[in-house]
Amino acid sequence: MEGTKLAYDLQQVSFAYEPEHPVLSDVTLSITSGSWVSLVGANGSGKSTLAKLLGGLLAVNAGKIIVEGTPLLRETASLIMPRIGMVFQNPDNQFIGATVEEDIAFGLEGQCLPRVEMVSRVQQYAEKLGIQHLLSKHPSELSGGQKQRVAVAAILAMEPAIIIFDEASSMLDEQARGELLHILRDMRSNGDYTMVSITHDAEEIMASDRVIVLRDGTVAADVDPDTLFSDDALLNSCRLIAPYHIRLIQELERRGIKVPPFPNADKEVEGTLWPLLFNK
Amino acid sequence: MAITFQQVSFAYDAKNLWRHGALEDIDLKINEGEFVAIAGASGSGKSTLLQHLNGILMPTTGKVQVFDVIMSAGEKTPKLTELRRRVGLVFQFPEHQLFEDTVEKDLCFGPLNFGSSKVEAKEQASKALSMVGLDDSFLERNPFHLSGGQMRKVAIATVLAMDPDVIVLDEPTATLDPQSRAELAELLYRLRRDQGKTVIVVTHRMEEMLPYVDQWIVMQDGRKTFQGSAAELTREALKLEASGLALPSCISYWNQIATRFGLEMEEPCLTVEALAERLERVLQVHDTAEGGGG
Amino acid sequence: MRNKLLFGRSIDTGSWVHSVDPRAKLTGMVLYLIALLVVNSWVALGLATVFSLAYMVSTRIPLKYYAKAAKPLWVLMVFIFVVQSLSIKQGTVLWHIGSWELYSGGLSSGLIAALRMTLLVSFTAILTFTTTPGLLNQGLSGVLKPLRKVGISAERLTLMMGIALRFIPTILDETHKIMKAQAARGADMKELPWKEKGRLLVSLLVPVTVGAFRRAEELVLSMESRGYIVGAPRSEYHLLSWSKRDTGFILSYVMLVAIIVYLRFI
Repeated sequence: MEGTKLAYDLQQVSFAYEPEHPVLSDVTLSITSGSWVSLVGANGSGKSTLAKLLGGLLAVNAGKIIVEGTPLLRETASLIMPRIGMVFQNPDNQFIGATVEEDIAFGLEGQCLPRVEMVSRVQQYAEKLGIQHLLSKHPSELSGGQKQRVAVAAILAMEPAIIIFDEASSMLDEQARGELLHILRDMRSNGDYTMVSITHDAEEIMASDRVIVLRDGTVAADVDPDTLFSDDALLNSCRLIAPYHIRLIQELERRGIKVPPFPNADKEVEGTLWPLLFNK
Repeated sequence: MAITFQQVSFAYDAKNLWRHGALEDIDLKINEGEFVAIAGASGSGKSTLLQHLNGILMPTTGKVQVFDVIMSAGEKTPKLTELRRRVGLVFQFPEHQLFEDTVEKDLCFGPLNFGSSKVEAKEQASKALSMVGLDDSFLERNPFHLSGGQMRKVAIATVLAMDPDVIVLDEPTATLDPQSRAELAELLYRLRRDQGKTVIVVTHRMEEMLPYVDQWIVMQDGRKTFQGSAAELTREALKLEASGLALPSCISYWNQIATRFGLEMEEPCLTVEALAERLERVLQVHDTAEGGGG
Repeated sequence: MRNKLLFGRSIDTGSWVHSVDPRAKLTGMVLYLIALLVVNSWVALGLATVFSLAYMVSTRIPLKYYAKAAKPLWVLMVFIFVVQSLSIKQGTVLWHIGSWELYSGGLSSGLIAALRMTLLVSFTAILTFTTTPGLLNQGLSGVLKPLRKVGISAERLTLMMGIALRFIPTILDETHKIMKAQAARGADMKELPWKEKGRLLVSLLVPVTVGAFRRAEELVLSMESRGYIVGAPRSEYHLLSWSKRDTGFILSYVMLVAIIVYLRFI
């Protein structure tokens, strides 16, 4: 385990809005720094609540959340919160500024950064997400996908170590969803961020390193994406559907045609499925 | 012919500021009893198009005919009440559509507006609820306390309660989980098959609607760039993708397989079952050929 | 139809008025308000109109946008006109309407009152058209800074205003969607009798309020996750710097007030 640091260490975490209806009970799990974890589950499984606990927006009723070695408590919150950023579902309701520029700067003002630093970060992260040309725009002039890019830029500009995506792609159209996924993949590959994404999206889950399945407020499974998508019972319990290529392989196998697993969720069948079908 | 658009254009009021969602020169025909899906990126004019179907918006130029009602640019707006009853429009978010404190009241709102008596309205409410697969126990529930999927179904039922001939839905599956989305797509298909409704649905997730749709319409930047069956859509995939439309993977899979095996002229297999079955046959032929040759 | 969206939204044409310090603009607006309250003659109204038009033209924003900004308040204008013109009994009697009499003095002052209201509403639109809400907010907190000395926190106030400015267009847009959804179910605001209109407006309140609360809740979460704490120290992204032009800008308003007061009381 040498060299692997933990971004999160949750020990028997429980939470309830009202005591008689526990939302999460006895959740124990840990997340390695620099990894990308998908958090899935049906409605009411507690995944959104867990996201808010991880983001420090709610406090546990029992148990402990340790972030990068420091327990998340009221006293330590001011140290830990700047390490965590969250991107939410509705592109409109997380746009705080009146222009893209102001929105990215909002979090930076809270960090009391000097103006020169703010200006340079706004530029830097706008460029990173390809939204420099939108800096002076009002949210009503932007598409949903553009607003989500702004939200990501605003979070990244605060330079957190952990980013939580709470169904960030679910209100976007196909094109924008693909673009956001591309951004997430990029973030994962440079290894600077620990990412937790709450999602229904099969492609997004496939792209992550690990899936935590919640059911009725407890961890029902902690698996890699391939295992999740080959387990029908598990998929049904979190109301997911496997991506097309996995279902195709399963259907082929059902018909007695052996297909080794795909190396990735790429649309290019030529390089993968093809040789397998031919070289038998 | 249930619906015809002739050279319809629509521009929002202050058009130099808000070009978003305008329509340009749309020609369109939709037959009674068809399941039609409209695809395209956000801002391509899909929602604007829908709102022309029952006179919520009027064309700036051109002519829209729905049944015997003609909405023509520059002419007096015809009486829309009967049209609104025959063409039910379900908006994207149920939060925009529901406003009463019980599901039953919400379901009765439409029928009462269109002149049903209280007793009739309640009957229609219960019938509509069962059409979307919910039982009468939901009548007394508060619509705002339902789950996302149930809320969508109730929103659809509020429109079904008016017994429309055409039901039009704007992104009915957005933000739902994949299984709820699949269920909803199937529900729409059943409405078409069992009740004979014309179903027109705007979607940006094409895959979930593919098995059910008779006719696809693709919108890009306010223009109609495609209209035809799934098979035709599959054949034009490259062109549509090049112009920026995101197509589901089942289409690109079929196209690659078709090119490899020379199946271009066949009816595309777009479900996993159909594709696996077709591949099985291809491989058998291939094996036999190989066996014979070697 | 979409002109409602104009409210609370800036239109960037890059004119010099856009770059005037928001504190100067706010102060100018207050002076303008005073000037207009004092206006009671056609000469003063004419002067105020010329002054307003000069500024509106220098923003390089088409005048029709200002007209649109005033449009939603036409009922109020008519009301002011009717009340004013019927309650002032000076000059000659022009008309008998039942037991009411319309005097020439009443007609004139009613017109002045309604016109000056129109002028006020469309002119204050300059403020929102030429200043992004963020800057406006910062200007406001600058203007209100002296309040801190008497123990009133300007921050909460400006925060509230900022959120309101940011969300009013969204909520109006949402209201519009809900009205469409109701029209689709046979309750078209345009076609209903007045009594039904009222009932329908009330029924709009539920989804609009629910929607607004949901938005507010999500916005608060988003602000918190970006480290916002009410009252905590913050640095400022926009640096406000006062220039001679800003002083000049205010002086032009001071002169307007002076001349109008002179016209009234001399």
